[in-house]
Amino acid sequence: MPLLVFLLKRLGWMLLTLWVVYTVSFFLMRSVPGGPFDSEKQIPEPIRRNIEARYRFDRPLIEQYGRHLWDTLHLDFGPSYKLEDYTVNEILAEGFPVSASLGIFALTFALTLGMTAGVVSAVRRQSVFDFSFMALATLGVAVPNFVLASLSVVLFVFVLGWLPAAGWGSLQQIVLPALCLAAPFAGYIARLTRTGMLEVLNQDYIRTAYAKGLSQRRVVLRHALRGAVLPVVSYLGPATAGILTGSLVLERIFFLPGMGSHFIEAALQRDYTLAMGTVLVYTLLLFTMNTLVDLAYCIVDPRVRLEQQA
Amino acid sequence: MTASQSQPQPASNPTAAESDEQRYERLLAEASTIRGVSLWQDAWRRLRRNWMAIGSLALLIAMALTVLLTPALPLQSPILTDLDHRQFEPPNTRPARLDLRQRLAEFESDVRPLREQLRTASGAELTELRKQLSARYAVEHPFQKLWHKPDWLSRQLLTLRVALFGDWCIPSLCGTDQLGRDMLARICWGGRVSLVVGIVATLVSLVIGVSYGATAGYLGGLADSLMMRIVDVLYSVPFIFVVIFLITILGQGDIKAWLDRHGINQITIFYFVIGAIYWLTMSRVVRGQVISLKNEQFVEAARTIGASSRRIIFRHLIPNVMGVVIVYLTLTIPAVMMFEAFLSFLGLGVSPPDVSWGLLVNDGIQVITRVRIYWWLVLFPGLTLALTLFALNFLGDGLRDALDPKMKNR
Amino acid sequence: MPPWIRRVFPYAVLASGLAAVAWAAFFGTLPPADFTFSNGDEVQTVDPAKATGQPENRVLNGLFEGLLTNMPTTDQPDEQRLVPMEPQPAVAESLPEISEDGRVYTFKLRPSARWSENNGLGGRPVTADDFVWSWRRTLHPDTASKYAYQLSTYLENADKYNTGLVEEGDRVEVELADRPDPIQPFPRGTIVRGTLRRIVRPPAPAADPAETLEQRETQWRRRWTYVVEIKPVLPDAGQGGRVETHESPVDWAAEGNLRAFSQDPEQAEQPGAEFGSLGAIQPCVHVLLDFGQVGVRAEDERTLIVTLRNRTPYFNSLAAFYTLFPVHRECVEKYGTPRWTKPENIVSNGPFQLQFRRIRDRIRMVKNPHYWNADQVALNVIDVLAVKSHTTGLSMYLEGQLDWASNVPKLMIPELLPRDDFITAPALITYFYRVNVTRPPLDNVLVRRALNLAIDKRQICERVTKAGERPASSLVPPGMAGYEAALCGQFDIAEARRLLAEAGYPGGRGLPKVEILYNTDDNHRAIAEVIGQMWKEHLGIDVELKNVEWGNYLDRQRELDYSVSRAGWIGDYPDPNTFLDMFVTGGGQNQTGWSHPGYDALIAQAAAEPDPEQRMRQLHEAERILMDELPILPIYYYVSINMVKPYVRGFSANILDTHPLHILRLDGNAASASLPAEAASPSEPASPAEPPSSFVPAVPAETDTP
Repeated sequence: MPLLVFLLKRLGWMLLTLWVVYTVSFFLMRSVPGGPFDSEKQIPEPIRRNIEARYRFDRPLIEQYGRHLWDTLHLDFGPSYKLEDYTVNEILAEGFPVSASLGIFALTFALTLGMTAGVVSAVRRQSVFDFSFMALATLGVAVPNFVLASLSVVLFVFVLGWLPAAGWGSLQQIVLPALCLAAPFAGYIARLTRTGMLEVLNQDYIRTAYAKGLSQRRVVLRHALRGAVLPVVSYLGPATAGILTGSLVLERIFFLPGMGSHFIEAALQRDYTLAMGTVLVYTLLLFTMNTLVDLAYCIVDPRVRLEQQA
Repeated sequence: MTASQSQPQPASNPTAAESDEQRYERLLAEASTIRGVSLWQDAWRRLRRNWMAIGSLALLIAMALTVLLTPALPLQSPILTDLDHRQFEPPNTRPARLDLRQRLAEFESDVRPLREQLRTASGAELTELRKQLSARYAVEHPFQKLWHKPDWLSRQLLTLRVALFGDWCIPSLCGTDQLGRDMLARICWGGRVSLVVGIVATLVSLVIGVSYGATAGYLGGLADSLMMRIVDVLYSVPFIFVVIFLITILGQGDIKAWLDRHGINQITIFYFVIGAIYWLTMSRVVRGQVISLKNEQFVEAARTIGASSRRIIFRHLIPNVMGVVIVYLTLTIPAVMMFEAFLSFLGLGVSPPDVSWGLLVNDGIQVITRVRIYWWLVLFPGLTLALTLFALNFLGDGLRDALDPKMKNR
Repeated sequence: MPPWIRRVFPYAVLASGLAAVAWAAFFGTLPPADFTFSNGDEVQTVDPAKATGQPENRVLNGLFEGLLTNMPTTDQPDEQRLVPMEPQPAVAESLPEISEDGRVYTFKLRPSARWSENNGLGGRPVTADDFVWSWRRTLHPDTASKYAYQLSTYLENADKYNTGLVEEGDRVEVELADRPDPIQPFPRGTIVRGTLRRIVRPPAPAADPAETLEQRETQWRRRWTYVVEIKPVLPDAGQGGRVETHESPVDWAAEGNLRAFSQDPEQAEQPGAEFGSLGAIQPCVHVLLDFGQVGVRAEDERTLIVTLRNRTPYFNSLAAFYTLFPVHRECVEKYGTPRWTKPENIVSNGPFQLQFRRIRDRIRMVKNPHYWNADQVALNVIDVLAVKSHTTGLSMYLEGQLDWASNVPKLMIPELLPRDDFITAPALITYFYRVNVTRPPLDNVLVRRALNLAIDKRQICERVTKAGERPASSLVPPGMAGYEAALCGQFDIAEARRLLAEAGYPGGRGLPKVEILYNTDDNHRAIAEVIGQMWKEHLGIDVELKNVEWGNYLDRQRELDYSVSRAGWIGDYPDPNTFLDMFVTGGGQNQTGWSHPGYDALIAQAAAEPDPEQRMRQLHEAERILMDELPILPIYYYVSINMVKPYVRGFSANILDTHPLHILRLDGNAASASLPAEAASPSEPASPAEPPSSFVPAVPAETDTP
């Protein structure tokens, strides 16, 4: 069963990756100046010690590392240092669906918009469509997403009044952030699709298909698209990473209670456990996504074998 | 891209009527003309046909020149605030004043006595006076007051500017900001930071990435797979930690003092931090190239016809790797600039009074509200940033197409 | 790869994609709230003992209620459009009776004050024992409350209980190591009481480079042995139905048994033979001062007697502060910390109760039907949003998603200032720069004075902050009754240059680079840029700005790793002392390296001075020294900023920036239709000329200054 072997190997690498990420970020965070219990008002020394003892900060670093790793292995990330009413697990459980929804919508937008534009551009090469889609695509790649977000708030919220300004809880509220998040990836996917399609459209089998008398629609959708999908599939891995990064900014601008905003706040406020939890979840997510992409690649492209990918 | 096809090919079919001798002669003649077209000439020929890429290149050169020559341009001061009269001025053509000549004259008359003394002094007194004079130059000179720590080159360019334009300066065509500073000047000076961050960080990533990737590719086997797994692992590390970590550690008191002594400032640190993050993809790309090139037929072929390994490396390997690297460079620079903007958004960017485009754009979006939009604060820096990134992307695409042998003769 | 996989794959991808989108598009819907406001940041905790900031203040004042609460004393704003606020009876039915010497406060509790009901808990009256137990919890070392000093500084003997330090001869309570859950400090283990006779300390361990001094000392303390004379329990103990019952009173006069306790009996040293046979050393969790020694006790269910260490004229303000709020003992003990704060568990006594919470999104509060004054509470559902970006907050306010925005982007202030729904009020907050006086050239007082004189503070207030802040020439802001601030020099370039020349740096020559440290914030940055430019322009100083994020900023400031650093201070209570005692030698908030024996002496004298006028004079003298020496450069006095929709009634501008939620009501007609953004135009409300309120108390508020 090559599939099983592949998955097992990947699982092994994933655990190793998680461990390395865990260790590196643990020691990185502890060596950064500033601790989680800093505040502008100085806490009396004995109280400070009590707080630190409560979170085992009084123990040697290596012991903290060991114990915390042990807890983490049991999927217990411990209490959050800053959001004292919550454990990290609870925060992740609340934040993850928000980020996931945002990411799914963004990925869907990016794929549908990007591939449509790419296919149209390739089929109508050198037309007005081609030119304007490609210009838009490059613009999407070139404008930082926080600028895009602000501008679209002006347009869709202030001027047109179609969508709410910010917040979480309804479908309308997710459209704008998801679109802004999707823009650069849609742009990139459009360009990838177009290039892939152009290459495929010159191949012999497409000519054969036309010669058989198939309609253009059928040729494009049944035959050409299949070949053009490959670069897009391989791009999905980096795109996931980019969407995770991008959501940090957009969650902040659009006031969404997702993991991205938890992560930034945790990192800036030295909420070690929460930061660690989010980092590990991100790592897990990236790794899973990359594995899925590799798997999909093998399925879509018969030339690639699973053994090589592992 | 595969490099095997980049070998010169005969352009046309020989006709049967020719005699062997004629054919060989013609082939030889053809071959000699074809050999003249190197990979680079070929690429340039193709690039020239791509008007978007050429336009982008021209735009980028113009931008680079502007940014390089910024001190010599008759711009207003990027740091001089005018809280009482010039806050949030919309774009206008009202003449602006910097009184550079007058300021310079005043300064000169201030230090004249010192100079006189200097002429007659000698020995220990002379060195002491020299020190005093240079101290006054370092603090009181108008260039030091109107610009933030101009380096030697900038000071020469500023002198040139005074000679060329005198007191005249460009009015606030892009408006002024919250503290009454001229946006045009800030965009130009910010461009210096942004472009330099983009280029230097990319070069740093190039050095790390190429050496790492080449080592992995060259060694092959277990070392290769181990090194590439490390890259995979690093891919999954959220970079923001690395950034916060490095920026804060390097900003620590004693480390910072040490850096200051060696003339390293925050921006320099920035280059390295960002460069240190962006080398991953580069190393993958280079490794792939090295591995494929190692076993390529044209390398074998070159070897069999007796080419020296020096020739193989410089004529065949380097140009082939360079193509990918250059393409990747033009695509990394915009990514780095974007990242710089992202860090500015989080408040981790360059420190004022230094400016960068990311910082300006971020300031701009702060004032987009329903009550009032100071559109010039976001439009001009945003447009500049977007245009640059746009151009870099187009140029990168163009270069990729041009350097891709599959596109040959297309 | 089997071919069927390849055939099925596209459909599988499509199906899972659709499923994912369907899942993502599914939202649990919340019905809209009556009233929504932005709180500035996420609330770190709704546990009153642990909360520390202004966002927490807003929420906790809705969920809980203290003995007193800050309320407007009148509906009518004064000529500054301010409404005076004073602590008024809440759970206490009247203001406390205060003893002659000002140290003993007797609170009578309202019989109708009751706890909310949740999951079968609560519903009973709020008793004096609730307060004793809650304050004890706050002070307990294991609670590790950062704001415990709000109690420990004032209550008799409370600091000793709080820090967990005991001396031989003290009456102590020993908590045995039989807690039901060792991680939860409450419910506590069995408690025995007695007199501490001896602490047997083993030799201090040798220095281990792997451990810090603190770690070593903590470890060492664990091995101490406490010899305690345990007193017998009074036979007629227990006054039926009291919450505090299971710790029965003991007969302190009786002879007791000697016993030995240690946190770590295995490692502890056996006490010497002089005590006779003590038996085995018993494990204990803590040996603390007996809580009976601390200045709070419940005389009966409805009478709470508080004994203070010194006369504290502002204790009523403290009694309205959230650290002193009661919590429900059974709830805390049943669920433990932090689970008792979950919406499904929490029992509270305020006008509202917690219904729903999503982190960094919202806290939903609904009206508490058990609240004693529930009839007067107009709002039924309140959403508290943790909007951090001021720009986003303003957009949401203008779009009608918020009814009250508790802050706005600074750059928009000039545009918003003329609007009627834009409310500013002076606050007891000073914005200043700390100067590291240990770092040349700033160790030279002439340089510091020159720096101060070269700042055009008026321009900063008028052109940068713009919300009506007033330029500061003193540390203590105006508004402190009976106090006249000592002033430092005003903007004067010529004099500044002269001083700098006198200090040996004519025209700024030879002066090393000065770095301004500030934490990431646009307002701080703008001010630092302006001041840096002023110094550069007027004095020829090479100024560099150093922007760091919050944790790093605090760290550097504490370790004196800066030259000049931005700071802000919110008065804990309406008395100059809250500002001035920061700068005594070695004070925790001093953080400038500055030390002045005369200053320390004056502050100490003032603390012990019974005569209020004399005390104010001494504080004035102290500030005089501070303003001559200038380890800090005052810049401006803050104002608080709020935007409130015109249909909201009961929202008043006040010096405390406290806005009780339960007195807010919505104008029926306007509430549904939010007003267009540009409708408002400036118009002065008719305000009868009233004498300004003489004494406006402030509550201790957030530490992170805006």
